[in-house]
Amino acid sequence: LVIAAHSSFLRSPIPFVPVLMYLFVISLLITIPFEITLWILLASLAKIGFHLYHKLPSIVPESCLLILVGLLLGGIIFGAQEKSPPVMNSDVFFLYLLPPIVLDAGYFMPTRLFFENFGTIFWYAVVGTLWNAIGIGISLFGICQISAFGLTDITLLQNLLFGSLISAVDPVAVLAVFENIHVNEQLYILVFGESLLNDAITVVLYNLFKSFCQMRTIKVVDIFAGIANFFIVGIGGVLIGILLGFVAAFTTRFTHKIRVIEPLFVFLYSYLSYITAEMFHLSGIMAITACAMTMNKYVEENVSQKSYTTIKYFMKMLSSVSETLIFIFMGVSTVGKNHEWNWAFVSFTLLFCLIWRALGVFVLTQIINVFRTIPLTFKDQFIIAYGGLRGAICFSLVFLLPPAVFPRKKLFITAVIVVIFFTVFIQGITIRPLVEFLDVKRSNKKQPAVSEEIYNRFFDHVKTGIEDVCGHWGHNFWRDKFKKFDNKYLRRLLIRENQPKSSIVSLYKKLEIKHAIEMAESGMISKVPSSVSLSEYHEGKIKPLSPTEMENMREILTKNLYQIRHRTMSYNRHSLAADANEKQAKEILIRRRHSLRESLRKTNSLSRERPAAANTKRFLSLPKNTKLPEKLRVRNKTSSKVGDSSDSEMDAATTVLNLRPRAGKILRDQRQKQQRPLPEFRMEWKNEVDGKQDGAGAHQETSGQPQPSVGFRQPLLTRSRFGTLTGEDLSADHRSTGPMPPPRLVRQASQGERQRNKPENQPY
Amino acid sequence: MDMLICVFCFVFFPPPVSHSQITRLYSRFTSLDKGENGTLSREDFQRIPELAINPLGDRIINAFFPEGEDQVNFRGFMRTLAHFRPIEDNEKSKDQNGPEPLNSRSNKLHFAFRLYDLDKDDKISRDELLQVLRMMVGVNISDEQLGSIADRTIQEADQDGDSAISFAEFVKVLEKVDVEQKMSIRFLH
Repeated sequence: LVIAAHSSFLRSPIPFVPVLMYLFVISLLITIPFEITLWILLASLAKIGFHLYHKLPSIVPESCLLILVGLLLGGIIFGAQEKSPPVMNSDVFFLYLLPPIVLDAGYFMPTRLFFENFGTIFWYAVVGTLWNAIGIGISLFGICQISAFGLTDITLLQNLLFGSLISAVDPVAVLAVFENIHVNEQLYILVFGESLLNDAITVVLYNLFKSFCQMRTIKVVDIFAGIANFFIVGIGGVLIGILLGFVAAFTTRFTHKIRVIEPLFVFLYSYLSYITAEMFHLSGIMAITACAMTMNKYVEENVSQKSYTTIKYFMKMLSSVSETLIFIFMGVSTVGKNHEWNWAFVSFTLLFCLIWRALGVFVLTQIINVFRTIPLTFKDQFIIAYGGLRGAICFSLVFLLPPAVFPRKKLFITAVIVVIFFTVFIQGITIRPLVEFLDVKRSNKKQPAVSEEIYNRFFDHVKTGIEDVCGHWGHNFWRDKFKKFDNKYLRRLLIRENQPKSSIVSLYKKLEIKHAIEMAESGMISKVPSSVSLSEYHEGKIKPLSPTEMENMREILTKNLYQIRHRTMSYNRHSLAADANEKQAKEILIRRRHSLRESLRKTNSLSRERPAAANTKRFLSLPKNTKLPEKLRVRNKTSSKVGDSSDSEMDAATTVLNLRPRAGKILRDQRQKQQRPLPEFRMEWKNEVDGKQDGAGAHQETSGQPQPSVGFRQPLLTRSRFGTLTGEDLSADHRSTGPMPPPRLVRQASQGERQRNKPENQPY
Repeated sequence: MDMLICVFCFVFFPPPVSHSQITRLYSRFTSLDKGENGTLSREDFQRIPELAINPLGDRIINAFFPEGEDQVNFRGFMRTLAHFRPIEDNEKSKDQNGPEPLNSRSNKLHFAFRLYDLDKDDKISRDELLQVLRMMVGVNISDEQLGSIADRTIQEADQDGDSAISFAEFVKVLEKVDVEQKMSIRFLH
C-alpha cells in the first residue's frame, strides 16, 4: 500500500505536495520507469521468498508465483486508483519483452541433441500446434453456432485465430517440478524444443490469421498464399538468423583485446537478427533462435571464461525480467474491468484445450513412436500433455488483438486468463503427484526390494559407461558431413587461431583436475571409508528387517545413489544447469584417486629398481619431442636408483599444476569438448615431497615459482588423469624385477582396498 | 544453408543402418587409440572424460581387457561391446545347437556378474558388494548404513545361506528386471 500511496501521490496534483515534487509528478518520464522498477523489484523479492522454502519450487511452478505477484500488484493499483492500470502495447511486447525469452531458450538449447531429435520436435511443434489450433478453433466455432450461448457473431476466422493463440503451450514451466522423479531424459529436449518452435509457429499463425481477419474476402488463392507465406516467413527468418550468427562468431574472433564488451556483441547481434527479420516481415523468433544456436558453438570458444559466464547469467536475467513483467501485466489486467464473462465460451475453451492437447499428444506419439529408437512411454505422454501450461505468450497475443476487428475482444481475454490460471495453478500443482501416482501404479509391485534400486542403478551406470565408450554417434550421415564441413571451413574462419590445441593443453586440464581433486581431497579425506571397516564381516544370521527399516533404506538409497550422467542438461528457465552433477563428479574422482593412491602405496612396497626405460612410458601424453629440463631428468634418475618404498610414491614427484580449481567446469567443458584459452591462468609448480608417506594427500611445500603459460617446464610425471599410468609402470617394473605377482594385483590397482584383504596376494 | 539441408534430409530421408555400424565403431576405436598401434590400453579408455566420472568406470574398463592382458585389439573391443547388442526377435528362435550368442540374456547377466565378482570365484561376497555399493553411493552414507544395505541385498538374494550371491541366485533376483532392455544399446544393432 505504500507503493500505491506513493504512486497516487506522484500522480495526483494535490495541493499540499511541494512544488518540486509537482514538477516531478508531471513529467511522465519518471513515473513509468519508477513503476516498472518497483514492479520488477517486488517480483524479485517474492522470488527470494519463494525459494527460501526449498520444497516449494518442486511443488509449484514458478509461473504460479509470478501470477500471484501480478494479481497482488494489480489489486493494489486498482484499489488505489479506481481505474485499470496501464498495460502494454504491441510495440513494447514484440520489441522488448518477447526477444529475451526466446533468446534464452534458443541459446541454451543443446544443438546436437536438438538435431538428433529434430524429427520428433518438429513433429510435435509444428503438427501438434496446427492440430491444436485448428481443432480448438473449429470446435469453438461449432459451439458458437449454438445460438443459446449468444456467441454467433464470432466468425470462423476469429475462432481460428483464437485457437492459434491459445495453443501456445509452455511446457518448460513444468520441468522444474520434476526434480527427483526419473523422467525420461529425452523428454527434456523434446519438451524444450517443442516449446521453442511452438512459439514461433504460434506467432506466425497468429499474424496469418490476423491478416486474414482484416481482409474482406478470402479466396482459395489466399489460403495457399498464406501457407506459402508461412514457410517463407519461417525459413527466411532462420536464414537471417544463421547469417547473423556467423557474423557474430566472426566478430568475436577478434575481440580478445576488449574482453569487457564481448557479451555485448552476443546480445547485439541476436537482437539485430530479430529486428532485421521483423523489418522484412519475416519471423523474428525463428531468426533469433537460429542466431543463438549458430552463435553458441563458435562464440563460446572465442570469448573468455568470464564473458561466457556473463552472457549466460545476463541472458537468464533478461528473460526472467521479461517473463516477470508479462505476468505482472497479466495479473494487473485481471483485476481491471477488461472482462466479459460468458460461461459457455470460457468453459468450452478450457475443455477443448485439454481435450485437444491430450488427443494431439496421444495420436502424434503413436505415429512418431514407429520412427523413434526410444519410444515414448505413457508416462512421458502424460507429462507432455498434462504439462501443457499456457504462459506469457498466450496472454500477450490476446491482449494485442486489434479491438476494431475483434468486437468481442474482452471475451477472449477473459477466456485466456481463465485458461492460464487453470493450467498454471491446477495443472501445475497437481502434475507431480499425478505422475508419482502413475509411477507407483505402473510399477505395480508389492514391495520393491531394497536391492532393486541398486541393481537398476548399476545397470544404468554400466550402460551409460558403455555408451560413452562407443562415443556420441548415432544414425547420422548428414551430421558427420556437416561436421567435416564445419571443421574444414567454418571453424578455421570463425574461431580465433592461436588457441593452443596441442596435447599440452589437454595435459594441463588433466593436471588441473588432479589438483582440484587433491585440494578437495584434503578436505574430504575423512569421509572415504578405510578398508578396515569394509572388511568387517558380521558373522551370524542377518536379521530380517521391518518394513519401516526397509523404507528407510530405500529412501537412503534413493537420495544417495549417484545419478546417471544425463546427456541432456535439464533446462530450467529460472536457473542455470545444476551443479549437483559437478559435486557428484568430484566425489567420484576423489574417491578413485584415493583408492589409486592406496593401491600405489601397497604395490610400491614391492617395487624394485625401476629401469630407466620405464620412465619413458610416463610421458605418453606429451608431444614426442619434448625435452626435459636437466634438473628434472637428474632427479628422475636418482629416484629410480633408490627405488625403495619411501620414495616410491614420489617417484611420482608429482608435479601438479596449481591452476585455479574449476574441476566442475572443466568436466563440463570436456563433456562438451571445448577448450578454453589458457593465458589468464597462473601456474605454479608444486612438488609433493616425501612427506606424503601416509597418503594423506596433503600438500606440503610448494616449491614452485609462477611460470608463464608458454615457457613452462614439462611435468616430471605425466600421470594420465587417474594415475593408472603409474600402475602400468609398476606392472612393467614388476615383470622385470621380482617374482611375478599374480596379474590381478596390479591390474586392479583401482580396487586397491581389496588387495589388502587377501594376504596370499602379497608375495612378501 | 547447409545446416538446413542437413536438417531436412535427416528428417525425410534417414540413412540406412547396416554394417556401417562396424565402420563407425572402428573409427571410434582408432580415434581412441592414441598410440596408433592397433590396440587400446587402459589409458586410452581413461581419456574418455565421461567414463572418468562414471562411478563404475574402472570396472567397465577392466571388463574390456581379457585375463592378464593390458591391451585390447579391435576384436576384443567388439567382443565386449557385443554383449550390449539388442536382442532381436528373430534371434530368439535361432537353433539351440549353436553356441549361445554373446548378447543373450544369460550372457548379459554374466557380464554384469563379472563386474561385481573380482576374484572370479563365481560368488559375489559381501566385500565385493560393499565395494560396488561404495562406488555407487555418495559420501553421506555411513559405513554402518552401507553395511546394512549390503546385508539386506545379500539376504534378499541368498538362497543357499552362504551369505554370498552365486550366479544362479543373481539370475533369480533379476528375473523380473528387463535386463535385455537395460543392457542394450540401440545403435549396436
